[in-house]
Amino acid sequence: MNGQRSQIRSLWVESGVAWVALIALLALNMALAFLPLNGLNVAANLFVAFVMAAISGLFLMGLRGDSALVRLVAIGSLFWLVVMFALTFTDYFTRPV
Amino acid sequence: MSSATLSQEHADSDLPPSEPWSNIAEETEAASFGMWLFLGTEVLFFGGLFLSYTIARFLYPQDFLEAARHTDIYLGATNTIVLLTSSLTMVVAVRGADLGARRLVWICLAATAALGALFLTIKGFEYWEDIREHLVPGRGFAVQGFGATLFFSLYWIMTSVHAVHLTVGVILIARLAWLMRSEPLRLPDLPVYGLYWHFVDTVWIFLFPLLYLAGRA
Repeated sequence: MNGQRSQIRSLWVESGVAWVALIALLALNMALAFLPLNGLNVAANLFVAFVMAAISGLFLMGLRGDSALVRLVAIGSLFWLVVMFALTFTDYFTRPV
Repeated sequence: MSSATLSQEHADSDLPPSEPWSNIAEETEAASFGMWLFLGTEVLFFGGLFLSYTIARFLYPQDFLEAARHTDIYLGATNTIVLLTSSLTMVVAVRGADLGARRLVWICLAATAALGALFLTIKGFEYWEDIREHLVPGRGFAVQGFGATLFFSLYWIMTSVHAVHLTVGVILIARLAWLMRSEPLRLPDLPVYGLYWHFVDTVWIFLFPLLYLAGRA
């Protein structure tokens, strides 16, 4: 019983560290939004959001310990997302003004 | 509810695997694999909305910044904290099940559903404020510029589609917590619920900076 209790405590500690990191990054993102960054605010905000998503994927969704097949599916969906964005950007960002 | 119903009376790990799996570990991996495949389609679904946002913002940068200042950053930030906290309770529920801590799992599932419901309540209050401030595109729309109309069209579509996903999650998790009172928990099920919940939270992680933080500098 004591063994289970200590396992539960370390479960809260491990998950709590990820939660604290996410809250800290949220605070950082809000601060970055108000700083004069010469129009780079959106890039900074999205970079922080990607770090938050990585923490969520690796530590909360458990990709860190998943099998290669499951990781491949997760990476595959991101790959097709990049393809969709890249093909659309190729059109819009190269149109003559 | 008596604590006995959530104690060792229902030994979750004693349940046999479903057909055609030979053991629980195999079934759990297959269930997670299937959920990730589904989430792949969701990534592309939400990706299309984020892509529309990106193109519209590229075409009307000033209108987007002006329009984004009208969203309520404080309610948005509060809701982000609520969702991140629900992710904490969800991950503890999923991993607590592996430890056989039934009562902890039940409390964390109930807390996750409650935090999801709190998010929807705050969002509903925010929608009410948005409607009162004439932030719905159409007749009497409060912000000037075609880009502002596009921004708020995307705001309503993206946040409402996200809210529908969250509502589904709240209902499923509340149902699971309810069933746990009288039935053993199927161990391969819980990580699937967890993946869905974390994915919906991750979508919000991107919605928040794009819809609420833009135009604040």
